[in-house]
Amino acid sequence: MNKKLQWISWAVLVSVLALYPRIFGIYYTNVFVTFAIFAVYAVSLNLLLGYTGLLSFGQAMFFGAGGYGTALALKHIQGIALMPALGIGFLAAIVLAAILSPLVVRVSGTAFAMLHLAFGQVMYVLALKLRGITGGEDGIGNFPIPNLNIPGIAAIPMKNDPVNFYYFAVVVLGLSLWIMWFFTKTPFGQLQVGVRDNAKRIDYLGYKVPQIKAVVYIFSGAFAGLAGAMFVLFQDMVSADGSLGILVSFNPIISTVVGGMGSFLGPVWGAAIFQIIEEVVQRFTERVELVVGIILILVTMFAPGGFAGWMSMLKQKIFLVRPPRLQPVATKEILEKVS
Amino acid sequence: MDPTTSLYVAQGIHGLAYGMILFLIASGLNIIFGMMGILNLAHTAFFMLAAYFGYQVVAWTGSYWLALLIAPICTAFFGIILERFFLRRVHALGHLGELILTVGVGMVILAVVKIFWGTESLPVAVPPALMGMVNIAGLDYPVYRLFVIALALVVLGFMGLVLYKTRLGKIVRAAVSDADMVNALGINIPVVFMLVFGIGTWLAGIAGVAIAPILTVFPGLDGQVGMDAFIVVVTGGFGSLMGAFIVSLIFGFLSSYGIQFVSQLAPVLMVLFMAIVLAFKPNGLFGERES
Repeated sequence: MNKKLQWISWAVLVSVLALYPRIFGIYYTNVFVTFAIFAVYAVSLNLLLGYTGLLSFGQAMFFGAGGYGTALALKHIQGIALMPALGIGFLAAIVLAAILSPLVVRVSGTAFAMLHLAFGQVMYVLALKLRGITGGEDGIGNFPIPNLNIPGIAAIPMKNDPVNFYYFAVVVLGLSLWIMWFFTKTPFGQLQVGVRDNAKRIDYLGYKVPQIKAVVYIFSGAFAGLAGAMFVLFQDMVSADGSLGILVSFNPIISTVVGGMGSFLGPVWGAAIFQIIEEVVQRFTERVELVVGIILILVTMFAPGGFAGWMSMLKQKIFLVRPPRLQPVATKEILEKVS
Repeated sequence: MDPTTSLYVAQGIHGLAYGMILFLIASGLNIIFGMMGILNLAHTAFFMLAAYFGYQVVAWTGSYWLALLIAPICTAFFGIILERFFLRRVHALGHLGELILTVGVGMVILAVVKIFWGTESLPVAVPPALMGMVNIAGLDYPVYRLFVIALALVVLGFMGLVLYKTRLGKIVRAAVSDADMVNALGINIPVVFMLVFGIGTWLAGIAGVAIAPILTVFPGLDGQVGMDAFIVVVTGGFGSLMGAFIVSLIFGFLSSYGIQFVSQLAPVLMVLFMAIVLAFKPNGLFGERES
């Protein structure tokens, strides 16, 4: 029965996703793509924050590395196909994470957060100053976006075709989410949570804590980079403020906290909530910042478990469902570990 | 004296003044962090708020001196409200909750400032008594910068006296090393925390009013100077006033001479310095506290 229900809900989800552009029109299709990109970005941050207990104020540098990598590839390499360009963005983020990892895995807590703030700012300032490569404040725009070639079957145009891009984005981002979810379910994912809860014990058990952190770090950076690359393809434009700014770093943290830390789908909920809030608030006022700030204050004060924590509480109260034995939402413990 | 030397000296004075302002902000951050373990990310928003308060007082009364007195006190008042009614409630959730809360508060302050004062740069005039240049040993110095340096030194001397010569200072120093124990000795620690938070934001307020005539008042003040102040605290070591002082001065000189020699890369220099320090000493130059 349960299995059947699962299949039915998957089928419903897939058909809704497939029909979405027809039902809601172009505008909301684009809104959904933005949401999906930032959802993947937020989940990548949550791999560090919720699952490993590392707070990073500089996740934007991977988002930006992916974005600039893809943009530069499209601009300078003649006739590059879509997937290789995306792959270059993905690789750029991996390389950056691999370079930084030996340094950052040795610190944790506030030092980790601040070190990332610093590196994030370095990247941001460099992107502004190295005009020859990055275009400075103007960024890079109007690069050609190639068709998606499926060899022997079709060449699907992407440029100026939001519906095609929507399907492409849903497949790529959905796959990324699935891979990240799978990652947390592997034995290695268990180790990751172990590092968060008691790094010393993991060490005593014979695992190497810095190496575990490094793998998670690179993994997280890679998917942040993929999200950044998709964002750049979507906007046909990359800029320092849009891809590397401090607000870009805060965005996934806010989504994660509002959605619920430590729950896999929490950041996705958070990204959705923020997309909706932005859409609604923009109709009435330009002060999106004010509303976001107030929401952050209210969430930290009254609902520290975020949306996911609130949902599971509701579920327990209404349906009298027993909490799972291995609770994914251990927000309070995470909060203590991070500090 | 030849013009090159005087240029260097003038840049040095600029650097020193900027370093002193950074230190005023950073010391407020540091006192709060050392005592309560809270990294107040709204601190720089308070600094910006004080600059706006200062602008408003000058606009109403025309007196810069009154602004220097009133604006920091108003800022401290808001700081105390933040501690008493917001931070205290999330304290049990650990530091991440506090970090996120202060980020939210910073965003709200920034938005409110934009609503009340708009986004353009508002000039604050240097008071007539501090205008112009003064000639010392054959070199011209801008009086206002010298005043800023002197002001910072006076404020810090005052803080030092309070910290090391009064009963309150003794309590604060004891609470830095073990707040629970001091609480158990019958001293009302929550009130002390509130007071310390007020003093920290007051210091940021002084810095805000002091910098207003130099940089003018605009919403980006928060990010521009504030980021530097955070970097100072992190590089100097959390909770270490000595570290903050030395790093503030280094950064002041780095920024002024950096602009002169490698203007393109000046903003990167500080962050690079921080990255190098943290690579070898994750707790900062003088940081002892396990962060």
